[in-house]
Amino acid sequence: MAAGSPVLLNPEGPGDPAPLPALKPGAKSSSIVVSPRQRGNPVLKFIRNVPWEFGDVVPDYVLGQSSCALFLSLRYHHLNPGYIHERLRHLGRSYGLQLLLLQKDPQQALKELAKVCILTDCTLLLAWSPEEAARYLETYKAYEQKPPDLLKERVEQDFLSRMTDCLSSVKSVNKPDALSLLTAFGSLANVVRASREDLSLCPGIGPQKAKRLFDILHEPFLKPPQNEPLPPPK
Amino acid sequence: RARRCPAAMAALLEHESQIFLELFHRDGLLVCARGLGVDRLLLRFLRLYCEPASLVLVLNTGPAEEEYFIDQLRSDGVVHLPRRVTNEITNNTRYEFYTQGGVFFATSRILVVDFLTDRIPANLITGILVYKAHRIIESCQEAFILRLYRQKNKEGFIKAFTDNAVAFNTGFCQVERVMRNLFVSKLYLWPRFHVAVNSFLEKHKPEVVEIHVSMTPAMLAIQTSILDILNACLRELKRYNPALEVEDLSLENAIGKPFDKTIRHYLDPLWHQLGAKTKSLVQDLKILRTLLLYLTQYDCITFLNLLESLKASEKAFGENSGWLFLDSSTSMFVNARARVYRIADEKLNQKGKVPEKSDVKKENELKRELVLESNPKWEALREVLKEIENENKNSEDLGGPGQVLICASDDRACAQLREYIIAGAEAFLTRLYNKTFGKDEKAAEVWIADRKAVKSKGNARPDTGPQAKKAKLAASSKQNKNKKQQDRTIIQMIGKAEEEKREELEAEDNKQLSSSPENNTEETVPEDFHVNLPSDCYYGIFKDPLTIIHPLQGCTDPYALTRVLHEVEPRYVVLYDAELSFVRQLEIYKASRPGKPLRQVYFLIYGGSTEEQRYLTALRKEKEAFEKLIREKAGMVIPEEREGRDETNLDLTRDAKPASAAADTRKAGGQEQKSVQQTVIVDMREFRSELPSLIHRRGIDIEPVTLEVGDYILTPDICVERKSISDLIGSLNNGRLYAQCVSMSRYYKRPILLIEFDPNKSFSLIPRGSLHQEISSNDVTSKLTLLTLHFPKLRILWCPSPHATAELFEELKENHPQPDAETAMAITADSEILPESDKYNPGPQDFLLKMPGVNAKNCRALMNHVKSIAELVTLSKDELAKILGNAANATQLFDFIHLTYGEAMAKGKSKR
Repeated sequence: MAAGSPVLLNPEGPGDPAPLPALKPGAKSSSIVVSPRQRGNPVLKFIRNVPWEFGDVVPDYVLGQSSCALFLSLRYHHLNPGYIHERLRHLGRSYGLQLLLLQKDPQQALKELAKVCILTDCTLLLAWSPEEAARYLETYKAYEQKPPDLLKERVEQDFLSRMTDCLSSVKSVNKPDALSLLTAFGSLANVVRASREDLSLCPGIGPQKAKRLFDILHEPFLKPPQNEPLPPPK
Repeated sequence: RARRCPAAMAALLEHESQIFLELFHRDGLLVCARGLGVDRLLLRFLRLYCEPASLVLVLNTGPAEEEYFIDQLRSDGVVHLPRRVTNEITNNTRYEFYTQGGVFFATSRILVVDFLTDRIPANLITGILVYKAHRIIESCQEAFILRLYRQKNKEGFIKAFTDNAVAFNTGFCQVERVMRNLFVSKLYLWPRFHVAVNSFLEKHKPEVVEIHVSMTPAMLAIQTSILDILNACLRELKRYNPALEVEDLSLENAIGKPFDKTIRHYLDPLWHQLGAKTKSLVQDLKILRTLLLYLTQYDCITFLNLLESLKASEKAFGENSGWLFLDSSTSMFVNARARVYRIADEKLNQKGKVPEKSDVKKENELKRELVLESNPKWEALREVLKEIENENKNSEDLGGPGQVLICASDDRACAQLREYIIAGAEAFLTRLYNKTFGKDEKAAEVWIADRKAVKSKGNARPDTGPQAKKAKLAASSKQNKNKKQQDRTIIQMIGKAEEEKREELEAEDNKQLSSSPENNTEETVPEDFHVNLPSDCYYGIFKDPLTIIHPLQGCTDPYALTRVLHEVEPRYVVLYDAELSFVRQLEIYKASRPGKPLRQVYFLIYGGSTEEQRYLTALRKEKEAFEKLIREKAGMVIPEEREGRDETNLDLTRDAKPASAAADTRKAGGQEQKSVQQTVIVDMREFRSELPSLIHRRGIDIEPVTLEVGDYILTPDICVERKSISDLIGSLNNGRLYAQCVSMSRYYKRPILLIEFDPNKSFSLIPRGSLHQEISSNDVTSKLTLLTLHFPKLRILWCPSPHATAELFEELKENHPQPDAETAMAITADSEILPESDKYNPGPQDFLLKMPGVNAKNCRALMNHVKSIAELVTLSKDELAKILGNAANATQLFDFIHLTYGEAMAKGKSKR
């Protein structure tokens, strides 16, 4: 092992078909499961906000039921360009979200790895220091169950704003339209019960918008393969 | 009608017509000395092409410049005036718009798209004029436009103009690279020391009086201190960063104007790696340079105020920038204070040098004796004004007293000068002192009384404020005969104003005229008067003869000073601060109107000061830059096909694909491989960035369309959303990126988020050392994590520069089919989504998720148990609770569905 790259422990024999009693993807755990290959990686000492434990897993880090990460230092990659391909091949596509966490040296190009990630369905994350890499790992574990509300546009909580927000999620229905629908029909329930013709008679709503709105309101949630398409109720 | 014909339209000067003819006959890049009238030449070309028969595009002009050019052409009686191509002209009518001919100032972003979509008749273009040509680097929009133009038009001309020779001094073969981007093979150099220019201007030299003012001992001492500290900081900086190029960081450069830029240029790419020490040194350098500027620019109080505030903020923030503790800085403080006041009590002085202001303030204030050192330049200015006045007295043979234009560097300096001239040094400084250092009126009063006493003894300088004014007014009243005539000209100048205003002014004038003989005290000096000049930032002082102060920099309109110069036609110009390009402009102005006013130019400069040094360095820099250009020109090898008028210019053949080995062997096998033209579909809004140009450069066709989903479509599967760092942070916060990712992953198999870094900034997402101990949901990294958790199929590309992006795009497209613009454009909320993307229909799902009580977790349960929204509204509260597993959520949802508008409003009111 080169002295300059203590970051990655040597994978014990690439191609070794040793049957790992791996944690199946889907198994629940409250901590990050770290492969023993990562022993000695400075990243580990920066994982402080969530618990972690060693366990026999295929990826380097299992971050949740369906997410995992491989760790790679660019410097190591330049010394052993074949290594990551072997790991990726071995990993296959067993997790929903597969990260390639790359610790980057400022000077080196990462074009090739970007390409590899696209081909192997991995999400590339870049960290500039072990601290940053560890922070990503922690955050993945900590946010495993977090809803995306933080990323969404914030809406006022009053009835009218929420209603206009809701109705204008239908394309081409804008805020004034939403308001005029509500005043014309009284409540959302009545809007939903209205016929296509009734909708189109509402000021500002033409036949086009009426059709769109009506379709959304009556379209089944589930797509046809799972469920027989239902004729929209009259 | 009253407006005089501006000089720019007067006949070209000898050397100018030579330049014009050269450039007219053969395309090229003209590099002209700063201030030598590159705008006059461009104007001449514009005038030539302002006719329907030609179609000429002008690149790289700003709105203010365009307005100036159009104004000048209009006043010259040009009928077919240049027009601007903006968003207001719709896509469909643009072709017709162009075919009407004439000169067009085009927004580059629009022009690129027009070229790509053939909305401009490229083959009909007469030529392109490029202004500020030093900016044409490879990746910019204008270079892209020129490339597209040369591909489609081999006949038209390209003529480029710049007056920034120094810009070519950076980098390797900069001028040659710019010429390559411009597709020109000729380089015309016109430095100020060109024989033709020099000999011509020599003939029409205005009389220049250089007045070397010497700084007061205190000022000199301060300057020495600042330079000492500056030098120490530079040494430190080099010690910490041995890699920095030594030559550029000399003391001489450090006092020059562009130093901040230079240092950012070196340090920005590695900013995140620099230690705190270096960063604070850079900050210190900036502060020191400001101090140096304030020293010569403004009065002693303003300077001391800045210095004290620096010290105060130092205390407040506990920052430790070492220089405040150097010996030199102590001496600087002592001297700066000594310019304003001295402590009367000897004992106090011994105790603690200059005691801390805040501690002993009250006690101290009484003992302060104001000194309020006047600016030596002010005195010099007064002398000059006096001289001018004397000359104006005997000016019958010149046709009455001449106008005076005083130029100072910026607004503040101008305002100060105005107050000084009107109110006098004492009054001004006292007011300023009271304003800045609190209600120390007692000291001020004592000072004033003192001064008066001294004055009455006859020891004071003979020409202090009010007296001078009296003299001035007395002088003007003596010239009552002339005065009427003089008034006329002023009124003419004001002529642009509405009738009403003019009458008002005239009345005012008359009043003043009648009263002035008896009443020549200071009250008659108008507080504020408005001359309708084409500039918003002049400061008028006297109306008769018109005396105006104008800033050299910082006007909203860069041509304000030029316009004022031509409107006022001053006979005397006083340069309170020296600026290279304005000095040259004066030369040209003088030469272009022989026999007209401008008799004398006064040049005020502190001898042996950094101010003088700065001016000389600027001169030398430009000279050196030209000498370098001349050498480069001599050694330049220009390929015959440079102008791109035939098919041999390699910059125009867009087969940029490197001959990869695989392709070559196949060709060697005799197999004619049918190559497919690569295409990328680009959203219209993306043409603000340089990426499309770089992609095109790689031989990939660009199809500009308006995309609803994504910015770049590389293949039928790959859709890319490009985000710069600031965009990324913004759109992660406002929900836009989330929405974009939702739609990208609905319609494309491989949605990609491209994070593009600025190559001039550091390539990192969060600055080093700013990582918090805890996971914080506000961090970009946390939000990015959350984003990838919810979009496991979203790929992220990290690109250090647009160049890298373009390269990566090309590789990602390899062996993939081309995208189809029609399909990409048609992707809207209505189109079919990918079958595997989700087992739920997106429309109803989005609708459902917006309802209160529904969240990401329980919405699946709802969608699995309820068929549609139509069915949802038929459910009772209990049924909802059963499905959602939570009564509170169910109530929220049920109320939302069934509450009527009226009830909701009533409820809202009662709550309030």
